[in-house]
Amino acid sequence: MLAPALLISGCVIDPIFQSDNYHLARTLLDAAALRHEAIATNVANVETPGYRRLDLSTDFASRLKSSLAAGDFARRSAEIRPQLAVDGAARSVRPDGNTVDLERELVAMNRNAVEHQFLADLVSSSLKQLKMAITGRVA
Amino acid sequence: MNLIAGVDISAGALNANKTRLDIIAQNIANAQTTRTPQGGPYQRRVVTFETELIRRTLGGGPSLQSVRIGEIAVDRTAGQQVHNPQHPDANAEGQVTMPNVNLAYEMVDLITASRAYEANLSVVRSARQMALKTLEIGK
Repeated sequence: MLAPALLISGCVIDPIFQSDNYHLARTLLDAAALRHEAIATNVANVETPGYRRLDLSTDFASRLKSSLAAGDFARRSAEIRPQLAVDGAARSVRPDGNTVDLERELVAMNRNAVEHQFLADLVSSSLKQLKMAITGRVA
Repeated sequence: MNLIAGVDISAGALNANKTRLDIIAQNIANAQTTRTPQGGPYQRRVVTFETELIRRTLGGGPSLQSVRIGEIAVDRTAGQQVHNPQHPDANAEGQVTMPNVNLAYEMVDLITASRAYEANLSVVRSARQMALKTLEIGK
């Protein structure tokens, strides 16, 4: 009698918690929260002389991409954590050497919020699908 | 980690900018004050900001910094001399030393401070939406 239950766990429950998309969404949700903190720091320091804007390190994106290409992301997702770095590409147009541009920060913030919302919906719908599979009810 | 990402960073900046607005209001209110408890005309106050460490990030990356009021300093530049012999605070030659408040500077500072306040407020608003969305995962 246990065999059908094991079969279900092999086909439905595991794929949702081990799928690349689910792990990717989780990692990117963390990244969105961290990027929001970086943007909050940038906006708070918009008038600090010599301050250089923070963003997620470009290293994070490249590691994520190579891990996805290698196809082992679901197992290695815990190793790839988002990190902050000083944005070296931002140039200052102000005499005080500050590289924060308020308009650009606010645009980045809104974009980040939309990304976060999308990822939260994605995780939510994966969990809802799982719930539906377990209970057999839609709501 | 905070539930609402970066809210402590923005809170520091909001607080600092509110103090700056208060000091600007004080300067404008005292633009004509020729008598103070210290003697002599009112002298303009200037707010200086300093960074405040909120959190170091993992892996030795750059730290998250907020802003706080460093000092409320007195602007020592000399005030304007106005010839007004009827004024009770006029000296023997009929000259009155007015406060060194320049309304044009104060208005520019006022707008800068209120824009910075609004920008930080919109960061908080967006962080709140992100937190609410996170809490909705699985619902």
